[in-house]
Amino acid sequence: MARLRLPVLLALVALVTVTPFAVMVLVAFAPPGGRTLPGALDVTRATWQNFADVLGGADVLRWALNSLVYSLVSVVLILLFASMAGYAFAKKRFPGREVLFWAFLATLMVPFQATLIPYYLLVAELGGVDTYWGLIVPTLANSQAVFLMRQFIVQLPDELFEAARMDGASEWRVYTTVVLPLIRPVLATLGVFVFLWHWNDFLWPLVIGQSEAMRTLTVGLATLEGENVTINQIMAGATITVIPCLLVFGLLQRYLTDSIATSGMKA
Amino acid sequence: MSRVESRATPPSPEEEPEAAGPEKARTPVATGPAETRTAEAAGSPETRTPEAAGLVAAVAADGTRTPVATAAPPEDRTVPPVTAPGPPTGRKSAARRREALAGLAFVAPMLVLFLVFRIGPTLGAAFLSLTDYRLSGDWAFVGAGNYARLLDDRLFWEALGVTALYTALYVPMTVALALGTAVLLHRTLWLRGFFRGLFFLPYVTSIVLAAVIWKWIYEVEDGLLNTALGGLGLGPVDFLGSESLVLPSIAAASAWKGFGYSMLILLAGLQSVPREVTEAAVIDGANTWQRFRWVTLPLLRPVLFFVLVIEAIGAFQVFDAMYVMTAGGPVRASYSLVYFLYDAGFKFFDFGYACAVGLVLFLVVLVFSLIQRRLVGREVD
Repeated sequence: MARLRLPVLLALVALVTVTPFAVMVLVAFAPPGGRTLPGALDVTRATWQNFADVLGGADVLRWALNSLVYSLVSVVLILLFASMAGYAFAKKRFPGREVLFWAFLATLMVPFQATLIPYYLLVAELGGVDTYWGLIVPTLANSQAVFLMRQFIVQLPDELFEAARMDGASEWRVYTTVVLPLIRPVLATLGVFVFLWHWNDFLWPLVIGQSEAMRTLTVGLATLEGENVTINQIMAGATITVIPCLLVFGLLQRYLTDSIATSGMKA
Repeated sequence: MSRVESRATPPSPEEEPEAAGPEKARTPVATGPAETRTAEAAGSPETRTPEAAGLVAAVAADGTRTPVATAAPPEDRTVPPVTAPGPPTGRKSAARRREALAGLAFVAPMLVLFLVFRIGPTLGAAFLSLTDYRLSGDWAFVGAGNYARLLDDRLFWEALGVTALYTALYVPMTVALALGTAVLLHRTLWLRGFFRGLFFLPYVTSIVLAAVIWKWIYEVEDGLLNTALGGLGLGPVDFLGSESLVLPSIAAASAWKGFGYSMLILLAGLQSVPREVTEAAVIDGANTWQRFRWVTLPLLRPVLFFVLVIEAIGAFQVFDAMYVMTAGGPVRASYSLVYFLYDAGFKFFDFGYACAVGLVLFLVVLVFSLIQRRLVGREVD
């Protein structure tokens, strides 16, 4: 009895975890109108119709493209700028270093929503509403990424950099040939986080992308409801939205779960 | 989930539980970690995140302390400033100057972004909250006017109440689920990695996705839950349409989405409980529940505090789920503080007022962080 309890509980939690995903997929593949459970469960009638409908009706492909641009460009630029800044904060002495670093950290205490209005007004003033740069550039100022990079790089022994410098390598060369290869694991970890942050982000894309063509997939999914679409199509859209998250998670799960356990990063 | 979440850093699970543990538990492991800690304090404090988190709180909470005084790691204080006068050889000072220039150059891109898009909006929010600023671009300085308006605004107090109630529902649900699954996983040897990944799955999706799916699960007509209830002969329940059920329902959906994070932190905490301690309890004749209640749980307390505070901070910023599932209804029963801020800004274009709401949100988050720092800090001392 006691030996059975653990597997039963595990199965129960697994059931609760998976059921919403399962019904999403079932309803997405059910014939249009087959929204009630017995209908949705009839796998023999599975159809791609809802996917075709939702892709044909709303601008889902454009939203997917927007989400990809938003996520991937942000990943590349944040990894680049944050690793550069983290390297400088960890290994370079320059005036104002401590004050700047603590200023970076202090902003972590301010919730994004608390500064949403000036954030929006600033980008609007610069002409960034409904543009890719308006969507992306403000989100690059990511203190958490700088913090993570600095914490990692500061543990690396100075000799590694000194040796390259003795050989006459320029500062930029030291960064590209010594620093970047050494921080590959933390780049992977942070890359996963940044991708998920941006792919799943809602409030900022919602306020900055005002035309339908500039919605991201996440915002688009939230707005699908109001338009004349069936629940089957909404679930098809939801299924499309979740695929990249699952892919990234499947490929890089180790980086994600390990870093949460050790550093408390929050996706 | 917001990308830039205000957050603290967790206590390092390998060390803090030991420090906070009961006297009996401390003895077997005291020497090892204690030595490490001293070494770290002398050597490179910046490798330890907990200090950093504590110091952030100190900076943010106590303006009278200068960041440098509290924050500078010991090694940095011994470093002379770059411009220090003195007799260094020409070559040495040239090397220093080059290093400083390189450092500034490497920081520059992020620094510019940071000044423009972080510091700027933060100061801007504080200033705008003192103005009456409208879409037309006209603005007037109104001092504390917006805050006085907030005090008299019934909608604001309702939104604050809804948010507090939501937090009070969401946090226990999530942490209980996270602790339960963490304990389960900790006891499991068979396929632990598989189940850990499975339970974590909802966490990598968006709140919007969770909201869309759960909205259908809760639906009155043919949603999953009401279909199941109907099978049991129970009448349909309007989960999202009832003023009393709407917040628990949204909280449950959000807990499903969010518990994976705390689960991982708590699991790491559980795994850092030294085996000798639990084995000693077994020898003393403690049963499973007694071991958990009197040995594991006390050792886990700092990690538990961390998780509670992080979840509370997140819960207080709730918006996405309500935007998608209920649009704040029925009759504002799920109209949260951030929803209020969003409407003030982007529905009524009352920007100054919205910024004042933002400051209230900031203060609440700050209080949560300070409570955590107090509680955990005291235990470590």
